[in-house]
Amino acid sequence: MFRFFTLFTGGRKMKPCFNKIFKSVRRIDTFQIITLPAVIFVFLLFVLMLFVYFYNALPAFIREGLAVYFKNIWQASEEPGKEYYGLIAAIWGTVYTSMIAILIALPISIAYSVFVIDYVPKKLKNIFIIVSDMMAGLPTIIYGIWGVFALVPFLQKYIMTPLYKNLSFIPIFSYPPVTGYSYFSAGVLLGIMVTPFASAVIREAYQMIPFTYREAAISLGLTRYEATKILLGYIKPAIFSGMILAFGRAVGETVAVSLIIGNTFNLSPSLFAPGYTISSLIANQFGNAYIYRHMLPVLYAGGLSLFIIGLIVNIVGLYLLRRWQENVRI
Amino acid sequence: MSEYKIRKGKEIAFTISITILTFLGILPLFHIIATVFVNGLPVITKESFTFLTGTFSNGGIGPAIAGTFILIFLSSLIGLPVALLVGVYAYEYPNSIIGKATETLLQIMLEFPTILVGVFAMSIIAIPMGTYSAFAGAFALAIILMPYVAVYTQEAMRQIPFTYREASFGLGLSRIKVIFRILVPLSKRGILTGVLIGMAKVAGETAPLLFTIGGLYESYPVSVTKPVGAVPLLIYTLVQSPSKGNHRMAWGASLILLLIFLLIFIPIRVSLKEVKL
Repeated sequence: MFRFFTLFTGGRKMKPCFNKIFKSVRRIDTFQIITLPAVIFVFLLFVLMLFVYFYNALPAFIREGLAVYFKNIWQASEEPGKEYYGLIAAIWGTVYTSMIAILIALPISIAYSVFVIDYVPKKLKNIFIIVSDMMAGLPTIIYGIWGVFALVPFLQKYIMTPLYKNLSFIPIFSYPPVTGYSYFSAGVLLGIMVTPFASAVIREAYQMIPFTYREAAISLGLTRYEATKILLGYIKPAIFSGMILAFGRAVGETVAVSLIIGNTFNLSPSLFAPGYTISSLIANQFGNAYIYRHMLPVLYAGGLSLFIIGLIVNIVGLYLLRRWQENVRI
Repeated sequence: MSEYKIRKGKEIAFTISITILTFLGILPLFHIIATVFVNGLPVITKESFTFLTGTFSNGGIGPAIAGTFILIFLSSLIGLPVALLVGVYAYEYPNSIIGKATETLLQIMLEFPTILVGVFAMSIIAIPMGTYSAFAGAFALAIILMPYVAVYTQEAMRQIPFTYREASFGLGLSRIKVIFRILVPLSKRGILTGVLIGMAKVAGETAPLLFTIGGLYESYPVSVTKPVGAVPLLIYTLVQSPSKGNHRMAWGASLILLLIFLLIFIPIRVSLKEVKL
């Protein structure tokens, strides 16, 4: 091949050049031959996962249609004809508990970010960051066991019972907190669990604000509170996407929630009522779903909805965060 | 003057409230660790060595601990090579369509509900095999481990100054040699951190194991195609049982799990300033 080209170029000068081109073509290939299959494998795995859920959920869609997501009924029966399932209670539980979680995570994670960056002395800063990282990584089952034996009794005794006694005329407090297992307990535990994830995003964004803005704010004679308020305004999109990502985490959490939510089919707006989330429904019912004829596809349909909620929430959160990081670049 | 007082008052209220909120946010960790130690330590000291090695009916969680380590090892064996290759690819082609898609996919997988991975592993491995197995559990855990290691590999390699890359290519090395012989060894500390973080995450996961490993607490596991136990799954089962004795065992097991987590987490913190879990 080279000889053919050198015939035309006539000199040795061009030879290394072509040599390089051919070599570089070959080089790219060997690298890609090794790495690309792994990448494709991961993509295929993900698609296969979606397919498995869709395929296994199909009988539920054929039997009940999309109504499977909108009916509040859970009728397991030995006779296949009498079985009927609806997932709305679980979907409601998932959304409700995750909302409570981010309502708790929002003020705490903002306060934590401001506190760690503006107030804590440099030497102690690292300790706060380690604590937050540890909370993010702590096995969820440890949160679960702590929730069952420490958090739920505490909430029931000191928060839920007084609220019920004094304010039970308000609908959200109207359910008697007998056991303490409820949307509220699950939401609080989820809030504690997702706070470190939200605060990691917010802290990073808050740290990125250039020092000159801070100087400018303070040179105007603003108090620290007023300056912080302005600075937080700059990172609003990051706070928003941090909340969305925290919501995604809360939606997918399984074991800790399933231990303390009470596992009851319920479509109640009352905070202290026991309920179900999609993931705790799967965790609880999957084991005995084989006894019944039509239950398994419904659980897969629940999994599919969780899959899609998780996918949308994460993509939106990541997209907003990335757009903010690229365009706003403060 | 009064306006100044109002501003001063707001400032004080603000400082107090963010301090309280911050401590409210990190208080649970200390309470969790304290509770686990207070409830778990008596159980372990009472049974002493039996608790770590004995079978469940002898008052120990030996098989579960063995199962957890087997699962960590197996899932690393499956997940690490793929993760490393994917991470390297995402580093090398950050601007191509596949590269960008890979990065997004990794971020999504980081946040993905773990129970879905468990059910997936069950339907494609445990059901066709006809039995729960360590392999099915390890496969599910490998899917969870993979994005952590890949993201950290990519991040660690990005930290290397571009000149190293130029110099390596300038020597006339092929791309594959530049990456695997020069850049990967240079960033091995960051990659190792990613591996440890993935392992810490995998060690504590419960949801993916619910329908994949079955659980084995009366004898030590012998084969990867047979059911095994795991500490988190054991805790989950024990907490749900009504017996007080089982709850005590659960606390003991929680302490062991916490110690395993700290054992992996502390080296990470020593080697790295910031960790993203």
